[in-house]
Amino acid sequence: MSLIKKNEPEVQKMNRQEVTPVSRVDENDDAFTLTLEFPGVTEKGIDLSLEERTLSVTAENTVETFKDYSLVLSEIPEMRYRAAFELPERVDTAGIKAAHKNGLLVLTLPKREAVKPRRIAITAG
Amino acid sequence: MRAYLNTINNPWRVFDELVSEFPYDLFSNAWRTRTGYSPRVNVWESDQGVAVEAEVAGVDPDKLDVAVDANVLTLKGEKERADGSKNEFQRSFNLPFELDNEGIKATVKNGMLTVMIPRKAAAEKRKIAIEKL
Repeated sequence: MSLIKKNEPEVQKMNRQEVTPVSRVDENDDAFTLTLEFPGVTEKGIDLSLEERTLSVTAENTVETFKDYSLVLSEIPEMRYRAAFELPERVDTAGIKAAHKNGLLVLTLPKREAVKPRRIAITAG
Repeated sequence: MRAYLNTINNPWRVFDELVSEFPYDLFSNAWRTRTGYSPRVNVWESDQGVAVEAEVAGVDPDKLDVAVDANVLTLKGEKERADGSKNEFQRSFNLPFELDNEGIKATVKNGMLTVMIPRKAAAEKRKIAIEKL
């Protein structure tokens, strides 16, 4: 067994270009919304994990090939998207939800009850 | 034109940039902001026609517009963000042959637009008789 020779899927993995996905964070009273753009990535191609307060995501796109056609303009390579986010204390990590639609991964990061704005009643002394 | 340097590797780029830069010179910067960013594409060609793949993550398929006029293919769309802000884009390709407007097939999956356009059947060659005067 050679040390250099790798099997095909492994080689492909190595050849992929690593890029940071386009991302965006929006905030409302209840939650933060983290949106990541993953064009050409299927649900199975996304790997999402949470370790302590670090949210990591990797994703691999699939570039379509057309039989009997030749590629004349190539701007979309095979890529591996990689990003990590340090979540603030305010986020309730147990309540994180992820949805995949239109090539977007939308993560809802709910805020902990304790940090939501609340009214404080004043009692007459 | 900077695009010329790329011509050898990529014969399409020249057409592409010509089409995309053309209106800017005439209509100032207003155009640039209106057209927004350009999605990245892969273009495939064969005897049958062209296949175009474009990255359109986050674009509502209903807000996507694919049009063919003779040999110009135009992709248009609008991306709406969570906060309601909108981002329009447009990208045109000048292809070296005519396309069949009727036979276009476009599908969107996982934020990837696939457009298949057949070539227009070539007009029959016609022999022109030369009259002797």
